Amino acid sequence: MDFLQSSAGTLISLSLLLLLSTCSGLYEDQIKKFDWRSVHVGSLKHAYVDLNHFQPRVLLSTHEQVVGSLCPKTGEIIWRQVLEQKPRGDIKLLQVSGFADDSSDTAAAPMGSHLGFDMMTVQGHAPALVRGWNTNIGTIEWEWSIMPLNTERAQDAVWFYSNSLLYHVVPAWRSHIEVTAYFATSGHTTGSTSKIMAAWINPESCLLSGTFYICLDGKQLISLDLVAKSTQVIATSLGAEPSSNIQDLPGLNGGLIVDKKLISVNKDQAICSDLTSDSYIVGSFNNRKVIAYADLINSILNINAVYLDDCSPVPELHLSVAFAEHYGTPSLRSFDCKSKRNSDGKNCLFLFTTTAESIVAVQQGRVRWSREESLANVIDTQFLDLPLADTEGTLENEMRGKAGDIATAFMRRITTQALQIKSLFLHVIGLGPPPTDTQRAGLVRDSFGLHKMLVLLTRTGKIFGIDNIAGKQHWKLYLPNVAGFENAEQMRLIVQRSSKHFPLQPLCAIVAKSVDTGNGVLFRFNPITGHAAEGGLLQLNYKIKQLALLSETEDDYVKGILILDGANQVHVEPKHATPLAHGMYLYTADLKTAELEGYFVKYAGGELSSLPIWNVRLGGHNSEQQIISVASKNPIEHVHSQGRVLGDRSVLYKYINPNLVAFVTQAPDATHKTVLNMYLIDVVSGSVIFSMTHRKVRAPLHIVHSENWLAYSYFNDKVRRTEITTIELYEGSAQANNSVWSSLQAPSMPLVERQSYIIPTIVEAMRETITERGITNKHVLIGTASGGIVEMSWHLLDPRRPISSTTQGREEGAIPYIPELPLPTENYINYNQTVARLRNIYTAPSGLESTCLVVATGLDIFVTRVAPSKTFDLLKEDFDYILISIVLVVLTSGSLIVRHLASRKLLKQAWK
Amino acid sequence: MYLKSSCLSIVLLSLFASGWSFLEHDSWITIDLHHSLTPARPEHFSHRGNISIPSLNSGLSTIVQNALTDTELESLKVLASQNGFYRMRATVAYPNGSKQRFLTSSKACSLLLAQFNDVLWVSLDPNGYVTGITTSQDLAPKITECSSENTQQINEKSFSSDVIIRHAELAPVPDTGSFIQKFEREREARERGEVRDNRGFFAKYWMYIVPVVLLVFISGATNQDAAK
Repeated sequence: MDFLQSSAGTLISLSLLLLLSTCSGLYEDQIKKFDWRSVHVGSLKHAYVDLNHFQPRVLLSTHEQVVGSLCPKTGEIIWRQVLEQKPRGDIKLLQVSGFADDSSDTAAAPMGSHLGFDMMTVQGHAPALVRGWNTNIGTIEWEWSIMPLNTERAQDAVWFYSNSLLYHVVPAWRSHIEVTAYFATSGHTTGSTSKIMAAWINPESCLLSGTFYICLDGKQLISLDLVAKSTQVIATSLGAEPSSNIQDLPGLNGGLIVDKKLISVNKDQAICSDLTSDSYIVGSFNNRKVIAYADLINSILNINAVYLDDCSPVPELHLSVAFAEHYGTPSLRSFDCKSKRNSDGKNCLFLFTTTAESIVAVQQGRVRWSREESLANVIDTQFLDLPLADTEGTLENEMRGKAGDIATAFMRRITTQALQIKSLFLHVIGLGPPPTDTQRAGLVRDSFGLHKMLVLLTRTGKIFGIDNIAGKQHWKLYLPNVAGFENAEQMRLIVQRSSKHFPLQPLCAIVAKSVDTGNGVLFRFNPITGHAAEGGLLQLNYKIKQLALLSETEDDYVKGILILDGANQVHVEPKHATPLAHGMYLYTADLKTAELEGYFVKYAGGELSSLPIWNVRLGGHNSEQQIISVASKNPIEHVHSQGRVLGDRSVLYKYINPNLVAFVTQAPDATHKTVLNMYLIDVVSGSVIFSMTHRKVRAPLHIVHSENWLAYSYFNDKVRRTEITTIELYEGSAQANNSVWSSLQAPSMPLVERQSYIIPTIVEAMRETITERGITNKHVLIGTASGGIVEMSWHLLDPRRPISSTTQGREEGAIPYIPELPLPTENYINYNQTVARLRNIYTAPSGLESTCLVVATGLDIFVTRVAPSKTFDLLKEDFDYILISIVLVVLTSGSLIVRHLASRKLLKQAWK
Repeated sequence: MYLKSSCLSIVLLSLFASGWSFLEHDSWITIDLHHSLTPARPEHFSHRGNISIPSLNSGLSTIVQNALTDTELESLKVLASQNGFYRMRATVAYPNGSKQRFLTSSKACSLLLAQFNDVLWVSLDPNGYVTGITTSQDLAPKITECSSENTQQINEKSFSSDVIIRHAELAPVPDTGSFIQKFEREREARERGEVRDNRGFFAKYWMYIVPVVLLVFISGATNQDAAK
């Protein structure tokens, strides 16, 4: 042990050694064995289908600041470039050569010369970046940028491209429009900025269609051609005031959609104003311009088209396709046709985006492919056990039998075994019952509980049931007209009944807000089959302020949902679980005012009531503090070890308060720039257990709260780096009450250990690992801005890491303190499978104590499993079963033979 | 002199006890206490007393509290028999005239069993504004059951409260300084050590050489056996 003190070099190497022993790197042959990744682009913003290019492609840009190219045959991503975050990466314009509004197109210039471009994007406003792309491989060919003088005004700026010039249109509301023309590929201005007086522009109802700037003013449209020599304002009167917002019609100069009808403000542009449809698109067919339009009627998608010049229908483009409900309402974005190879007909591909954020391609009368881009915005996940196979189910049922009577138990055993024999017999002769849908799909529980159904809830209200091993989407559901709650609170996915209660089916619920009324919406469904259950969608007649989960009911094992509504009334769903709500405590937190309130729920005389019992104000004097994060513990967490053994063999008991919630507030400060406060509050008694303040520190903040510890990352403005502060709470050397925890009679002052570390990366998400019984070590999964997920042992984050290597620290097994946390590459659990725009990491226990299931979401989804203490309860895959059985057989047979020989020898000796 | 030093030690002690938690601008507050005792009228609050804290940094306070009337004691006993909450509303007044209202609760029964001895925790944020006020009782560990026999014999009517002020603490920053110091120290020690360590080659590395030599001998011996 002497070398420990000898030098810092050995010290570092020792800690690395310790680290290596705790991490579990992946072997080369394990790549993609336990994990999968699905890659997304996000919901469609601009799209161009180009089938006549030498390499057919679909070029697109999305609301997730992504540009990419899809294969028109399969919908697979050919290339994808994830641009900067908003607002810098916000794509304002996507211009593809050959898709300009007018025939004169610079893109006709030879490839490679600086005059032409393949695809051009304009993104951001200050600075605005203009980029030219090579659409075959997705690389940037050239780039230029402009920094507008007035950045605030530039936020509303729009761009358009015409005649090899790129126009920057900056509106000054109710005053004038500034138009600047640039040479698209070089960024040189053509002259001075022209100011056009236009007092009629307002931020609510203006848009750009081709070269026309159009505003809705009551019953008329006022428009202006921005490239025309004269700045004459054109007024177009409408029959009545439109009931919805006006939309532009891309591809048609001056064309727009008003109340499902087409209108042109351009006198030179004819338009078919008799059509009525939900979505239009302009394209070309047989070298003539056509308007295609699509409508969804009774789950049938009808696509029609007319020639633009004479409004006569194009029968070749008519299509009717059965359209699945889970896609939502489609809107046509682009189409293109290509001559068939041997016959004279044409083959057209229509590209749709839907309200459920799917990209759907329709070709030859069927849905050719679809991409589920709502998965780029996952907001909640749950892992659910798969149903038992029938035989195991009956066995499970028997084990749970409540009757203690021996005779009945014996009878039950006999009948189940008779049934098992019967089913086995039937199975052998091929008359067995047909396997259920889930069994056919391979959705049967494995012996280690590693195979689960992953239910993903997305921001649009689309729900997916995905196999966590294969990554196959087994079912999809779409809830239209739902949204997240006030206070920036997302929709919730709740498991009301797990798969443990065979033959009862598991039950999940989505709690959301109705877009139309603002009231609560509850949707119950079976997470294995994806079918609605218990009546499916339930519109509540109150707003949801807070919700909590009750314990299981006796008869049907459903966990009721306790809801606090806007008027502080409490409700329970389902109703029969109402008595269980008695004695529950609820709390609410207002992010803006940073006020917390605690309620006690009482059930008396068939009535539920709530009584406010405490409040806490974190807002400071003028409520300048705002809550930026609330972190409670995972309710399914088990804490196996109640204490920590110190160097002198005494025990330091953990302060394990399940009602402890961490609140983090942030406010600007006169002397310290920004101040971040962290509060630990018992949400049952309302007492502030601990509070700590950071100076010159600001968001982004990510926090994990588990067992008796807390870790949070933030940005330190003073030294410009990301840091992690960790806190551990201890009761002391004695436990106040080791059997029951009561927040109302709790030890009020826990010991607080704290430490800060530097982490040499930008943290995007943090989550602790969780296992079935909590015996396995806890690791913290840290998602970085580059898309990697690092598994960090708690030993490294431990606030008790001693500054000087004392014998006590060594006895305790604590690593000496080093300010910077190491991020070795073998600790990246997703090796090269980076998750673009990593936003959240979710963990769930598996059936094995050693293993924790992980899903990381962002633009991409990455699913894997981690074993923080290595797979101590599992034999290795390359375990040599043959060798061990041979050895066993040889040993037993050898001992038998030897015994036989020995007895013979004894017999012979006895005869002598 | 003696007094002075004792004062200093108190200040030092309190500094130590509350970590680095001290307000940059000390201030005073007064707290007005009201409590709700009638289970039938939960929104009715009657006056209990007031607290004035002349200096938040020193944490000293003066408390003036009314004794309960007989009817109030009786209604509190009723509340305790229903296992209800004793709710207290605290109105904090700051020097600038602004007021903030706080609510806290404890079980009525535990207040009775504690003979009206309670502790008021006043939590402060880093700028000296109150974040929360909590009341708690130190229970006699043996009596936990709230039976009518236990509560009926209580005749105590006056509150005796302690006020404890909890400051927000300053968070730790990554301790690069001491780590670098330690690093330097160790490097110096090593350098010094290297200068001093002028033992001979064998004296330094005998533990590596001996096993190798032994190995060579053993392998040589086995080879000879084989040769024979």
